Amino acid sequence: MKRWILVLIVLLSVLVFSEQVTLRMIQVFTSPLRTKVLEDIISKFEAQNPGVKIELISPPYETAYQKIYLMVSAEEPLDIVEVGDWSLSALASMGKLLSLEPYLAKSELTKHLVPGVLEAARTYKGTAYLLPNAIYVKTLFYRPDVISKYGITPPARTMDELLEHCRNLTKPEVGQYGFDFRGKGYPTAFIDLVMTSFFDDIDPNCMYLKKDGKLIFEDPRALEGIKFYIELFKTAPKDSINWGFDEQVNAFASGITPYLFQDPDTVGLLNEIMKEGTYKTAPLPIGRGGKAYPTIGFAGWGITSYSKHKDLAWKFLEFFNSPEVNAYWCREYGALPVDMRVYEIDPYFKSETFYGWTAMFEDKEHYQFTKYPLDNEAWSEWNELHETTMQQVLLGKMKPEDALKTWAEFWKKAGLGRK
Amino acid sequence: MKRSKFWILMLLPTFALVFFVNLYPLARGGVISFQRLTVFNLNNPRFVGWDNYRAILNDPAFPRLLWNTLVWIACSVAFQFLFGLILALLLAKPFFGRGLYMGLVFYPWALSGFAIGLLWSWLLNGQFGIVNDVLIRLGLIRTPIGFLSDERFAMFSVILVNVWYGIPFFAIMLLAAIQSIPGELYEAAQIDGAGFFRKLFSVTLPYIRPTIYSTVLLRIIWVMNFPDIIYGMTRGGPAGATNILSVQMINIVYYRNNFGLASALGMIITAILTIFAVIYLTLLERGEFEL
Repeated sequence: MKRWILVLIVLLSVLVFSEQVTLRMIQVFTSPLRTKVLEDIISKFEAQNPGVKIELISPPYETAYQKIYLMVSAEEPLDIVEVGDWSLSALASMGKLLSLEPYLAKSELTKHLVPGVLEAARTYKGTAYLLPNAIYVKTLFYRPDVISKYGITPPARTMDELLEHCRNLTKPEVGQYGFDFRGKGYPTAFIDLVMTSFFDDIDPNCMYLKKDGKLIFEDPRALEGIKFYIELFKTAPKDSINWGFDEQVNAFASGITPYLFQDPDTVGLLNEIMKEGTYKTAPLPIGRGGKAYPTIGFAGWGITSYSKHKDLAWKFLEFFNSPEVNAYWCREYGALPVDMRVYEIDPYFKSETFYGWTAMFEDKEHYQFTKYPLDNEAWSEWNELHETTMQQVLLGKMKPEDALKTWAEFWKKAGLGRK
Repeated sequence: MKRSKFWILMLLPTFALVFFVNLYPLARGGVISFQRLTVFNLNNPRFVGWDNYRAILNDPAFPRLLWNTLVWIACSVAFQFLFGLILALLLAKPFFGRGLYMGLVFYPWALSGFAIGLLWSWLLNGQFGIVNDVLIRLGLIRTPIGFLSDERFAMFSVILVNVWYGIPFFAIMLLAAIQSIPGELYEAAQIDGAGFFRKLFSVTLPYIRPTIYSTVLLRIIWVMNFPDIIYGMTRGGPAGATNILSVQMINIVYYRNNFGLASALGMIITAILTIFAVIYLTLLERGEFEL
């Protein structure tokens, strides 16, 4: 009996005195593929840091943001939080994210970041509340095998060419269409890419403003843009008004719609379901304004202001962004690396798959990056309004002019373009 | 004295449970509905009076939402009931393989509504959907129907799926009630020379009337608060064609992150259901039916 008590005491003291630290980390864009890659990286970190354990929480994507907002606001135990460009302002304004500036000032990493990444991280009040580990820019995906059947090579370089190609491709009787349309589930970026291509004076700091400070929706070129977008819709299956990301990928992979605008994370998915060489990327088509205005989306990790292991959490963030790990992450998941060294050490990111992006980054004259007003409180409401009104326009229940008027009024009320 | 204290003690766990999972969230929702509470001010909400309610009721899309909700409930429950009753009558008499057959027809009830929504959204897909494929191969249609993208069909499609999903519930409840009818009643009716329909309307239906009333009431409340299928299939689209109150509530939370506004809509739904239930029950009592 005495012996058992002794054993118990020894066991307990081992448990108490061993310095096992657990970091709790939550991701947003959960998918089976992504979770596997993350767990891999975590176990590497744990192997290098004995006594450290990282507990990964992976809520379903649809509810992830809500869960994080509520957990963080109630200061539930969390150390590392995934922050996307769309959730940055909400989380930062709660005051529950740690400013990473002191860490960044001491870190070597900042020297090697791709230009623009740090600025993007400082979207909210000029302070970095996250360390981005990947950037997302939309480009043109196309199916060379499908379009060449209709005598189309090379892919469309201008929006007008794109429409012409799509019209030529569209043959409903054989189930062939042109443009891979997005009607549901945050179609905002798709509408804007087309609409802003009719401009040549978009504010580099705000997608919805012209350089003279006025809203784009009040400009006659916006009407031209929206009418063009309706024409593009006519080269897509009617059903696409109800298409989200999954349906888009499905239609592209099956060849029904060989032209698609998408982010690099689509690459990871397409590589799984398609044969090599059956899809390629090209720079976004340039509009009648002679330009295209992509935005840089980003995601990364932030640290909660109430975390008890801030330094350790930062250590993980640095580990995650080290060139080898970052290369592995971006390659497996499908994203553009944030560290310039990655492009040197991993030839994959210079391969043909990434041609669309590299060409856009090099051509500064035609491709001007701009930003969404993500720090505006009205942003999330905008996505809902934009989607519903656009659907009404596509169904012919609302005039394009009225939609533009609604959008202009919405943003004026939210404080944009009042000059 | 001692006994009455013991009695309170025994009730306490149940009361605590009801309080924490039912009454407290309801009261909290009521409070939030008068606040401006979005992700931007989760930690310092402020009271805004009736602003949230006004915003919802003044929304030009609100009458459409109400109408859609009404159509959704009326058609769903009516057809679920009709087919559920037919199914229950068919299953009332034993036949070979009845157990297996019952298991098969009842299984939709065991699935999650959201999963059903996703499943059917692919089946009814206007481009790759198997339903369209079958219809085309049968020569019934030439070009695929946009079940979920065409405004004229979208509401019909989501109701169709909801009916498919809800039939088993009525069938199970009505079957149980039908099986409790004493056999002598049918024998007596038989002797009086009653045919199938006479027996149905004079024996079966009157006997199971209490079950019908209570299940219909339950179903109406559930269907009104059942956004899963619509959310999985269309999220209320296209252009609001299938948007009902409970789906709109989810959209407000997920798109706009506005918890105050969503709570106000939640309270409005609760109010509508309470008023409805009171009227329904009063009418039943006047009719002197037992529930």
